[in-house]
Amino acid sequence: MEAVFNFFGLSLVVFLLVLGYGFGRLAEARHYRSIRRREEAFSDLIIVCCKTVPESLPAGGSQMVRGSVVVSIDYFKHFVAGLRMIFGGRVHTYESLLDRGRREALLRMQAEARKLGATVIFNTRFETSSISKGGGRSIGCIEVLAYGTAILP
Amino acid sequence: MEFRNPKVPEGINVSRHSPLYEFFLLSLGTLLLCVALAFASLFLGSLLGRHAPVAWEKAVAGMIIGDRLPEAAPESEAETGPLRAELQALADRLSAHIELPEGLTVKAHYLDSDQVNAFATVGGHIFIARGLIERMPHENALAFVVGHEVAHVAHRDPAAALGGVVLLQALFALASSSGSELPGELLVGPNALLLSGFSRDVEREADAAALAALAGLYGHVAGASTFFEAVLHLPQPPALLSSHPLTRERIDAIAETARERDWPLQGPVTPLSPALARLAGDGG
Repeated sequence: MEAVFNFFGLSLVVFLLVLGYGFGRLAEARHYRSIRRREEAFSDLIIVCCKTVPESLPAGGSQMVRGSVVVSIDYFKHFVAGLRMIFGGRVHTYESLLDRGRREALLRMQAEARKLGATVIFNTRFETSSISKGGGRSIGCIEVLAYGTAILP
Repeated sequence: MEFRNPKVPEGINVSRHSPLYEFFLLSLGTLLLCVALAFASLFLGSLLGRHAPVAWEKAVAGMIIGDRLPEAAPESEAETGPLRAELQALADRLSAHIELPEGLTVKAHYLDSDQVNAFATVGGHIFIARGLIERMPHENALAFVVGHEVAHVAHRDPAAALGGVVLLQALFALASSSGSELPGELLVGPNALLLSGFSRDVEREADAAALAALAGLYGHVAGASTFFEAVLHLPQPPALLSSHPLTRERIDAIAETARERDWPLQGPVTPLSPALARLAGDGG
Protein backbone atom coordinates (compact mmCIF):
# COMPACT_ATOMS: atom_id res chain seq x y z
CA MET A 1 0.00 0.00 0.00
CA GLU A 2 2.81 2.31 0.93
CA ALA A 3 4.47 1.49 -2.36
CA VAL A 4 1.34 2.64 -4.18
CA PHE A 5 1.39 5.92 -2.31
CA ASN A 6 5.09 6.34 -2.98
CA PHE A 7 4.55 5.63 -6.65
CA PHE A 8 1.63 8.04 -6.73
CA GLY A 9 3.67 10.72 -4.99
CA LEU A 10 6.56 10.29 -7.37
CA SER A 11 4.31 10.32 -10.43
CA LEU A 12 2.70 13.50 -9.15
CA VAL A 13 6.09 15.20 -8.83
CA VAL A 14 7.10 14.12 -12.34
CA PHE A 15 3.72 15.22 -13.71
CA LEU A 16 4.02 18.63 -12.02
CA LEU A 17 7.58 19.00 -13.28
CA VAL A 18 6.58 18.29 -16.88
CA LEU A 19 3.51 20.49 -16.55
CA GLY A 20 5.54 23.26 -14.95
CA TYR A 21 8.25 23.08 -17.57
CA GLY A 22 5.81 23.03 -20.48
CA PHE A 23 3.41 25.71 -19.32
CA GLY A 24 6.14 27.75 -17.65
CA ARG A 25 8.13 27.95 -20.89
CA LEU A 26 5.04 28.77 -22.88
CA ALA A 27 3.82 31.46 -20.49
CA GLU A 28 7.27 33.00 -20.19
CA ALA A 29 7.84 33.18 -23.94
CA ARG A 30 4.41 34.76 -24.42
CA HIS A 31 4.98 37.22 -21.60
CA TYR A 32 8.37 38.30 -22.96
CA ARG A 33 6.86 38.86 -26.41
CA SER A 34 4.17 41.05 -24.87
CA ILE A 35 6.72 42.92 -22.72
CA ARG A 36 8.95 43.74 -25.72
CA ARG A 37 6.00 44.89 -27.82
CA ARG A 38 4.69 47.22 -25.10
CA GLU A 39 8.18 48.54 -24.26
CA GLU A 40 8.46 49.55 -27.89
CA ALA A 41 5.04 51.21 -27.73
CA PHE A 42 5.92 53.13 -24.54
CA SER A 43 9.43 54.09 -25.64
CA ASP A 44 8.37 57.77 -25.91
CA LEU A 45 7.16 57.83 -22.29
CA ILE A 46 10.41 58.59 -20.49
CA ILE A 47 11.22 56.93 -17.17
CA VAL A 48 14.09 58.39 -15.11
CA CYS A 49 15.33 57.91 -11.59
CA CYS A 50 16.33 61.58 -10.92
CA LYS A 51 14.71 63.08 -7.87
CA THR A 52 14.59 66.64 -9.17
CA VAL A 53 12.81 67.89 -12.24
CA PRO A 54 15.02 70.13 -14.44
CA GLU A 55 13.92 73.77 -14.66
CA SER A 56 13.83 73.53 -18.43
CA LEU A 57 11.05 70.93 -18.37
CA PRO A 58 7.61 72.49 -18.80
CA ALA A 59 5.49 71.12 -15.98
CA GLY A 60 1.78 71.68 -15.55
CA GLY A 61 1.61 69.50 -12.48
CA SER A 62 2.72 66.17 -11.05
CA GLN A 63 1.08 63.03 -9.83
CA MET A 64 2.24 59.73 -8.42
CA VAL A 65 1.81 56.81 -10.76
CA ARG A 66 2.33 53.17 -9.92
CA GLY A 67 2.34 49.76 -11.50
CA SER A 68 2.13 46.57 -9.54
CA VAL A 69 2.38 42.96 -10.61
CA VAL A 70 2.20 39.62 -8.88
CA VAL A 71 4.10 36.78 -10.55
CA SER A 72 4.28 33.16 -9.52
CA ILE A 73 7.00 30.70 -10.41
CA ASP A 74 6.17 27.33 -11.92
CA TYR A 75 6.81 24.02 -10.21
CA PHE A 76 9.75 23.15 -12.45
CA LYS A 77 11.63 26.35 -11.69
CA HIS A 78 10.81 26.06 -8.03
CA PHE A 79 12.18 22.51 -8.02
CA VAL A 80 15.39 23.51 -9.78
CA ALA A 81 15.81 26.46 -7.40
CA GLY A 82 15.34 24.06 -4.48
CA LEU A 83 18.14 21.87 -5.80
CA ARG A 84 20.27 24.95 -6.37
CA MET A 85 19.98 25.78 -2.68
CA ILE A 86 21.92 22.59 -1.89
CA PHE A 87 24.91 23.53 -3.99
CA GLY A 88 24.73 27.34 -4.10
CA GLY A 89 25.32 29.58 -7.09
CA ARG A 90 23.15 31.77 -9.26
CA VAL A 91 19.50 30.80 -9.19
CA HIS A 92 19.03 31.17 -12.93
CA THR A 93 15.44 30.02 -12.86
CA TYR A 94 14.39 32.86 -10.55
CA GLU A 95 16.14 35.54 -12.61
CA SER A 96 13.62 35.57 -15.41
CA LEU A 97 10.77 35.70 -12.89
CA LEU A 98 12.12 38.87 -11.31
CA ASP A 99 13.10 40.38 -14.65
CA ARG A 100 9.60 39.87 -15.98
CA GLY A 101 8.11 41.25 -12.77
CA ARG A 102 10.12 44.47 -12.87
CA ARG A 103 9.57 45.15 -16.54
CA GLU A 104 5.85 44.41 -16.29
CA ALA A 105 5.51 46.74 -13.28
CA LEU A 106 7.25 49.56 -15.19
CA LEU A 107 4.94 49.03 -18.16
CA ARG A 108 1.85 49.24 -15.96
CA MET A 109 3.18 52.40 -14.37
CA GLN A 110 3.76 53.83 -17.86
CA ALA A 111 0.25 52.83 -18.87
CA GLU A 112 -1.17 54.83 -15.97
CA ALA A 113 1.02 57.82 -16.85
CA ARG A 114 -0.07 57.60 -20.46
CA LYS A 115 -3.71 57.81 -19.36
CA LEU A 116 -2.89 61.03 -17.50
CA GLY A 117 -1.22 62.39 -20.61
CA ALA A 118 2.25 62.52 -19.02
CA THR A 119 5.37 62.16 -21.13
CA VAL A 120 7.94 61.68 -18.40
CA ILE A 121 8.07 59.95 -14.98
CA PHE A 122 10.61 61.12 -12.40
CA ASN A 123 11.96 59.50 -9.27
CA THR A 124 11.09 55.96 -10.35
CA ARG A 125 11.46 53.40 -7.55
CA PHE A 126 10.93 49.64 -7.13
CA GLU A 127 9.64 47.58 -4.25
CA THR A 128 9.78 43.81 -4.38
CA SER A 129 8.15 41.61 -1.81
CA SER A 130 7.66 37.90 -1.49
CA ILE A 131 4.02 37.09 -0.96
CA SER A 132 4.63 33.43 -0.15
CA LYS A 133 7.24 34.28 2.46
CA GLY A 134 6.92 31.91 5.39
CA GLY A 135 4.63 29.68 3.38
CA GLY A 136 6.93 26.73 3.88
CA ARG A 137 7.06 24.63 0.76
CA SER A 138 4.66 26.80 -1.21
CA ILE A 139 5.61 27.91 -4.67
CA GLY A 140 7.45 31.23 -4.85
CA CYS A 141 5.21 34.20 -5.57
CA ILE A 142 6.37 37.82 -5.67
CA GLU A 143 4.88 41.25 -5.96
CA VAL A 144 6.84 43.96 -7.77
CA LEU A 145 5.70 47.54 -7.35
CA ALA A 146 7.11 50.37 -9.48
CA TYR A 147 6.18 53.94 -8.63
CA GLY A 148 7.25 57.39 -9.63
CA THR A 149 6.17 60.97 -10.17
CA ALA A 150 4.52 61.64 -13.51
CA ILE A 151 5.03 65.21 -14.78
CA LEU A 152 1.81 66.41 -16.33
CA PRO A 153 1.95 68.76 -19.34
CA MET B 1 19.21 67.83 -20.69
CA GLU B 2 17.71 65.24 -22.97
CA PHE B 3 15.98 62.20 -21.57
CA ARG B 4 15.21 59.04 -23.44
CA ASN B 5 14.31 55.42 -22.73
CA PRO B 6 16.98 52.98 -23.81
CA LYS B 7 15.94 49.65 -25.25
CA VAL B 8 16.17 47.15 -22.39
CA PRO B 9 19.24 45.03 -23.04
CA GLU B 10 18.51 41.30 -22.97
CA GLY B 11 20.71 38.65 -21.44
CA ILE B 12 22.22 40.74 -18.63
CA ASN B 13 19.77 40.19 -15.82
CA VAL B 14 18.54 36.89 -17.16
CA SER B 15 21.09 34.16 -17.91
CA ARG B 16 20.88 32.34 -21.17
CA HIS B 17 21.03 28.94 -19.53
CA SER B 18 19.05 25.92 -20.58
CA PRO B 19 16.82 25.18 -17.59
CA LEU B 20 16.69 21.52 -18.57
CA TYR B 21 20.47 21.26 -18.54
CA GLU B 22 20.55 22.87 -15.12
CA PHE B 23 17.81 20.54 -13.92
CA PHE B 24 19.68 17.42 -15.01
CA LEU B 25 22.99 18.64 -13.66
CA LEU B 26 21.54 19.54 -10.28
CA SER B 27 19.47 16.35 -10.08
CA LEU B 28 22.53 14.27 -10.86
CA GLY B 29 24.53 16.13 -8.25
CA THR B 30 21.83 15.64 -5.64
CA LEU B 31 21.55 11.95 -6.49
CA LEU B 32 25.29 11.44 -6.16
CA LEU B 33 25.27 13.34 -2.89
CA CYS B 34 22.48 11.12 -1.54
CA VAL B 35 24.29 7.95 -2.60
CA ALA B 36 27.52 9.17 -1.02
CA LEU B 37 25.68 10.07 2.19
CA ALA B 38 23.93 6.69 2.24
CA PHE B 39 27.22 4.84 1.86
CA ALA B 40 28.90 7.02 4.45
CA SER B 41 26.12 6.44 6.98
CA LEU B 42 26.13 2.68 6.29
CA PHE B 43 29.88 2.60 6.79
CA LEU B 44 29.90 4.80 9.88
CA GLY B 45 26.87 3.00 11.36
CA SER B 46 28.44 -0.42 10.89
CA LEU B 47 31.66 0.84 12.44
CA LEU B 48 29.74 2.11 15.47
CA GLY B 49 27.64 -1.08 15.64
CA ARG B 50 30.65 -3.35 15.51
CA HIS B 51 32.38 -1.53 18.35
CA ALA B 52 29.35 -0.81 20.53
CA PRO B 53 29.38 -2.45 23.99
CA VAL B 54 28.01 -5.99 23.97
CA ALA B 55 25.49 -4.98 26.64
CA TRP B 56 23.99 -2.46 24.21
CA GLU B 57 23.72 -5.08 21.50
CA LYS B 58 21.90 -7.38 23.90
CA ALA B 59 19.56 -4.60 25.01
CA VAL B 60 18.74 -3.71 21.41
CA ALA B 61 18.22 -7.40 20.59
CA GLY B 62 15.79 -7.65 23.49
CA MET B 63 13.84 -4.66 22.16
CA ILE B 64 13.71 -5.86 18.57
CA ILE B 65 13.25 -9.58 19.00
CA GLY B 66 11.47 -9.57 22.34
CA ASP B 67 8.90 -12.35 22.38
CA ARG B 68 9.00 -13.02 18.65
CA LEU B 69 11.38 -15.96 18.87
CA PRO B 70 10.04 -19.06 17.11
CA GLU B 71 9.96 -21.10 20.31
CA ALA B 72 7.73 -18.49 21.97
CA ALA B 73 4.74 -20.45 20.69
CA PRO B 74 4.39 -23.15 23.39
CA GLU B 75 2.25 -25.53 21.28
CA SER B 76 5.19 -26.41 19.04
CA GLU B 77 7.71 -26.64 21.87
CA ALA B 78 7.32 -30.41 22.33
CA GLU B 79 8.22 -30.91 18.70
CA THR B 80 10.92 -28.30 18.19
CA GLY B 81 12.42 -28.31 21.70
CA PRO B 82 14.76 -31.29 21.08
CA LEU B 83 15.80 -29.83 17.69
CA ARG B 84 16.69 -26.53 19.28
CA ALA B 85 18.59 -28.28 22.08
CA GLU B 86 20.66 -30.25 19.55
CA LEU B 87 21.36 -27.17 17.44
CA GLN B 88 22.38 -25.33 20.61
CA ALA B 89 24.70 -28.18 21.60
CA LEU B 90 26.34 -28.09 18.18
CA ALA B 91 26.66 -24.31 18.34
CA ASP B 92 28.22 -24.56 21.81
CA ARG B 93 30.77 -27.12 20.64
CA LEU B 94 31.68 -24.88 17.71
CA SER B 95 31.78 -21.78 19.94
CA ALA B 96 34.63 -23.39 21.85
CA HIS B 97 36.73 -22.99 18.71
CA ILE B 98 35.57 -19.48 17.76
CA GLU B 99 36.51 -16.62 20.02
CA LEU B 100 33.33 -14.81 21.06
CA PRO B 101 33.36 -11.28 22.50
CA GLU B 102 33.10 -11.17 26.25
CA GLY B 103 29.53 -11.38 27.47
CA LEU B 104 28.13 -12.60 24.17
CA THR B 105 26.84 -16.17 23.92
CA VAL B 106 25.30 -17.92 20.95
CA LYS B 107 21.63 -18.84 21.23
CA ALA B 108 20.52 -21.26 18.52
CA HIS B 109 16.92 -21.34 17.26
CA TYR B 110 15.07 -23.74 15.02
CA LEU B 111 12.98 -22.11 12.30
CA ASP B 112 10.10 -24.13 10.86
CA SER B 113 10.53 -22.94 7.28
CA ASP B 114 11.04 -24.60 3.91
CA GLN B 115 13.74 -22.11 3.01
CA VAL B 116 17.28 -23.40 2.72
CA ASN B 117 18.42 -20.72 5.07
CA ALA B 118 20.33 -19.84 8.20
CA PHE B 119 21.10 -16.43 9.60
CA ALA B 120 22.51 -14.59 12.58
CA THR B 121 21.12 -11.49 14.20
CA VAL B 122 21.96 -9.19 17.08
CA GLY B 123 22.29 -10.52 20.61
CA GLY B 124 23.97 -13.76 19.53
CA HIS B 125 20.79 -15.32 18.11
CA ILE B 126 21.26 -17.67 15.19
CA PHE B 127 18.42 -19.26 13.25
CA ILE B 128 18.57 -22.50 11.29
CA ALA B 129 15.66 -23.30 8.98
CA ARG B 130 14.14 -26.75 8.54
CA GLY B 131 14.73 -26.61 4.77
CA LEU B 132 18.45 -26.41 5.38
CA ILE B 133 18.65 -29.18 7.97
CA GLU B 134 16.70 -31.48 5.65
CA ARG B 135 19.46 -31.19 3.06
CA MET B 136 22.30 -31.98 5.44
CA PRO B 137 23.59 -35.54 5.09
CA HIS B 138 25.75 -35.44 8.22
CA GLU B 139 26.70 -33.27 11.18
CA ASN B 140 29.88 -31.94 9.58
CA ALA B 141 27.93 -30.27 6.79
CA LEU B 142 25.52 -28.69 9.26
CA ALA B 143 28.40 -27.72 11.54
CA PHE B 144 29.95 -25.62 8.79
CA VAL B 145 26.73 -23.62 8.34
CA VAL B 146 26.19 -23.24 12.09
CA GLY B 147 29.87 -22.35 12.49
CA HIS B 148 29.49 -19.71 9.79
CA GLU B 149 26.64 -18.09 11.73
CA VAL B 150 28.51 -18.38 15.04
CA ALA B 151 31.42 -16.62 13.31
CA HIS B 152 29.08 -13.79 12.29
CA VAL B 153 28.11 -13.42 15.95
CA ALA B 154 31.76 -13.55 17.00
CA HIS B 155 32.76 -10.92 14.42
CA ARG B 156 29.73 -8.83 15.51
CA ASP B 157 28.53 -8.62 11.93
CA PRO B 158 24.80 -8.42 12.83
CA ALA B 159 25.51 -5.49 15.18
CA ALA B 160 27.52 -3.78 12.44
CA ALA B 161 24.76 -4.35 9.91
CA LEU B 162 22.11 -3.09 12.32
CA GLY B 163 24.19 0.00 13.09
CA GLY B 164 24.48 0.75 9.39
CA VAL B 165 20.78 0.27 8.71
CA VAL B 166 19.74 2.33 11.73
CA LEU B 167 21.96 5.25 10.75
CA LEU B 168 20.77 5.04 7.15
CA GLN B 169 17.16 5.01 8.33
CA ALA B 170 17.84 7.96 10.62
CA LEU B 171 19.30 9.88 7.71
CA PHE B 172 16.33 8.91 5.56
CA ALA B 173 13.84 9.98 8.22
CA LEU B 174 15.69 13.26 8.66
CA ALA B 175 15.71 13.94 4.93
CA SER B 176 12.12 12.97 4.29
CA SER B 177 10.91 14.46 7.59
CA SER B 178 8.25 11.78 7.58
CA GLY B 179 9.86 9.95 10.48
CA SER B 180 9.43 6.56 8.85
CA GLU B 181 9.95 3.70 11.22
CA LEU B 182 12.35 0.84 10.85
CA PRO B 183 10.30 -2.32 10.20
CA GLY B 184 11.27 -5.12 12.57
CA GLU B 185 11.18 -7.82 9.90
CA LEU B 186 14.19 -6.23 8.21
CA LEU B 187 16.24 -7.11 11.25
CA VAL B 188 15.14 -10.55 12.38
CA GLY B 189 13.54 -12.10 9.33
CA PRO B 190 15.24 -14.11 6.63
CA ASN B 191 15.77 -10.91 4.67
CA ALA B 192 17.77 -9.31 7.45
CA LEU B 193 21.12 -10.31 6.04
CA LEU B 194 20.23 -9.30 2.51
CA LEU B 195 19.19 -5.83 3.47
CA SER B 196 22.06 -5.21 5.77
CA GLY B 197 24.33 -6.04 2.87
CA PHE B 198 27.00 -8.12 4.52
CA SER B 199 29.92 -7.62 2.26
CA ARG B 200 31.66 -10.49 0.58
CA ASP B 201 34.74 -9.97 2.71
CA VAL B 202 32.65 -10.41 5.84
CA GLU B 203 31.28 -13.68 4.42
CA ARG B 204 34.74 -14.93 3.53
CA GLU B 205 35.96 -14.22 7.04
CA ALA B 206 32.98 -16.06 8.50
CA ASP B 207 33.71 -19.00 6.17
CA ALA B 208 37.33 -19.07 7.28
CA ALA B 209 36.39 -18.97 10.96
CA ALA B 210 33.82 -21.74 10.45
CA LEU B 211 36.43 -23.85 8.66
CA ALA B 212 38.88 -23.36 11.52
CA ALA B 213 36.18 -24.36 14.02
CA LEU B 214 35.46 -27.49 11.97
CA ALA B 215 39.13 -28.39 11.91
CA GLY B 216 39.34 -27.83 15.67
CA LEU B 217 36.23 -29.86 16.43
CA TYR B 218 36.69 -32.86 14.11
CA GLY B 219 40.37 -32.73 13.22
CA HIS B 220 39.49 -32.43 9.54
CA VAL B 221 37.24 -30.27 7.34
CA ALA B 222 35.37 -32.98 5.44
CA GLY B 223 31.84 -31.94 4.56
CA ALA B 224 32.57 -28.22 4.80
CA SER B 225 31.52 -27.59 1.24
CA THR B 226 28.67 -30.14 1.23
CA PHE B 227 26.11 -27.40 1.77
CA PHE B 228 27.39 -25.36 -1.17
CA GLU B 229 27.63 -28.40 -3.39
CA ALA B 230 24.03 -29.26 -2.47
CA VAL B 231 22.73 -25.79 -3.26
CA LEU B 232 24.67 -25.56 -6.52
CA HIS B 233 22.10 -27.93 -7.98
CA LEU B 234 19.07 -26.01 -6.76
CA PRO B 235 17.24 -24.16 -9.55
CA GLN B 236 16.90 -21.04 -7.41
CA PRO B 237 19.81 -20.07 -5.15
CA PRO B 238 18.58 -19.90 -1.56
CA ALA B 239 18.18 -16.48 0.00
CA LEU B 240 21.18 -17.11 2.20
CA LEU B 241 23.46 -17.10 -0.81
CA SER B 242 22.25 -14.18 -2.84
CA SER B 243 24.28 -11.71 -0.79
CA HIS B 244 27.15 -14.10 -0.36
CA PRO B 245 30.16 -14.73 -2.55
CA LEU B 246 29.48 -17.01 -5.46
CA THR B 247 28.98 -20.59 -4.35
CA ARG B 248 31.64 -21.99 -6.67
CA GLU B 249 34.15 -19.43 -5.41
CA ARG B 250 33.44 -20.42 -1.83
CA ILE B 251 33.91 -24.13 -2.50
CA ASP B 252 37.27 -23.32 -4.07
CA ALA B 253 38.19 -21.04 -1.17
CA ILE B 254 37.42 -23.82 1.34
CA ALA B 255 39.67 -26.26 -0.52
CA GLU B 256 42.44 -23.69 -0.80
CA THR B 257 42.33 -22.65 2.86
CA ALA B 258 42.34 -26.31 3.91
CA ARG B 259 45.41 -26.92 1.74
CA GLU B 260 47.22 -23.87 3.10
CA ARG B 261 46.51 -24.73 6.72
CA ASP B 262 47.12 -28.44 6.23
CA TRP B 263 43.62 -29.46 7.29
CA PRO B 264 42.62 -32.81 5.82
CA LEU B 265 39.74 -32.49 3.35
CA GLN B 266 38.75 -36.09 4.01
CA GLY B 267 37.90 -37.77 7.25
CA PRO B 268 35.23 -39.76 9.04
CA VAL B 269 31.98 -37.77 9.11
CA THR B 270 29.81 -37.65 12.23
CA PRO B 271 26.15 -38.58 11.82
CA LEU B 272 23.51 -36.05 12.80
CA SER B 273 22.21 -36.18 16.36
CA PRO B 274 18.90 -38.07 16.77
CA ALA B 275 16.25 -35.33 16.41
CA LEU B 276 18.09 -33.59 13.57
CA ALA B 277 18.68 -36.94 11.83
CA ARG B 278 14.96 -37.72 12.06
CA LEU B 279 14.17 -34.35 10.43
CA ALA B 280 16.78 -34.83 7.72
CA GLY B 281 15.49 -38.36 7.11
CA ASP B 282 11.87 -37.18 6.82
CA GLY B 283 12.81 -34.38 4.46
CA GLY B 284 15.23 -36.38 2.37
